[in-house]
Amino acid sequence: MGNALFIVWRESVEAILIISILLAWIRDRDDAHVGVRHLWAGVGGGLALAGFIALAMLGVHGWLAADALDLFQTAIVFAAAALITHMVLWMRSHGRHMKRELEAGLARAADTAGGASVALLAAIAVGREGAETVLFLYGLAMEQSGSTLAQLFAGAGIGFILALATAWLILSGARWLPGRVFFRASEVVLLLLAAALLVSGVERLIDLEWLPPLMEPVWDSSALLEDGSTAGGIAAAFAGYRAQPSLMVLIAWLGYWGMVALLGRLQRRSAA
Amino acid sequence: MKTPASLITSVLGIVVPAAILLAPVTARADMPTFEVVAENGRFTPETIEVPANTRFRLQLTNRNVGPEEFETSTPFKELVVGPGVTRSTIFPPLKPGSYPFFGEFHPETAKGRFVAK
Repeated sequence: MGNALFIVWRESVEAILIISILLAWIRDRDDAHVGVRHLWAGVGGGLALAGFIALAMLGVHGWLAADALDLFQTAIVFAAAALITHMVLWMRSHGRHMKRELEAGLARAADTAGGASVALLAAIAVGREGAETVLFLYGLAMEQSGSTLAQLFAGAGIGFILALATAWLILSGARWLPGRVFFRASEVVLLLLAAALLVSGVERLIDLEWLPPLMEPVWDSSALLEDGSTAGGIAAAFAGYRAQPSLMVLIAWLGYWGMVALLGRLQRRSAA
Repeated sequence: MKTPASLITSVLGIVVPAAILLAPVTARADMPTFEVVAENGRFTPETIEVPANTRFRLQLTNRNVGPEEFETSTPFKELVVGPGVTRSTIFPPLKPGSYPFFGEFHPETAKGRFVAK
């Protein structure tokens, strides 16, 4: 029971946090084009995605080879990183241009781009975290029966509730911040998250031997913060931290921030 | 209108550098490969001697009833394997030393270590 509780809590916290950041962000924008409905549609899609990935991993052999599954997951990770980046940059310029766009009758186009990003991002967050939870619970369930099985599901339920409570705690802490600061902070968190996804995508490509690691490790900071530890794990999941990064990963991470800075500058220039 | 343009820029910004980086695709090199079997919530062998400062491949076959997740914290690696499935992952060069691994779905029993020499 303790196992199931902990795993469900750990996996859900990440997904729920991302959803709550998106939710708070949408509310703060008070933007009719990107609605909460997009978010919930995405969460629903994410649950379906989690089921699909878990089933594929359980080794429905013939129809999805291991490499194909790895590639599929890698593609998802890259798509998520691109979407978040697009969404943050789009939201930034959209706020400024909304009135003009509305007058020009382009509201519908804006609706599609922003809303779909939010929905897809929620789907990917839930899908990624959900798949592992499904697998873990399936594994435990296979090896237990009867009353322990009931305890297992009770543990999973409690874990999920604890995750909701954790996210609520963190977000109500964030509520003390002024709206403007919260909005900025959530932008930064979303971009950090995109960088973390990019890092994990690049590592998957290195694993598939599609990319050379170039040089590894460039440094070793595992004595300071180990990425397998709890704190290090959070830094890894939300910012792409690695205690022993390869040069390729480092280039991708730095390249990402360079690109974000460049796109942001181009945007400001075209807005001026 | 700005929206599609900025979408295209951001997508291109990611796809183009990725494509350039992908160009020198390395062939599947000869790499030392170590096989581990997960069965009854344990790993066999539990001690794996690997060459130091060399990349190597770990191939995990899962004969458990349920899935298993092979994990190391230094360097951090995770590999989820369904029952009856074989998957592999690549480890970066390790300095001489001992590196524990464990099965996250059977943390009590599934334990082992790499010894890099």
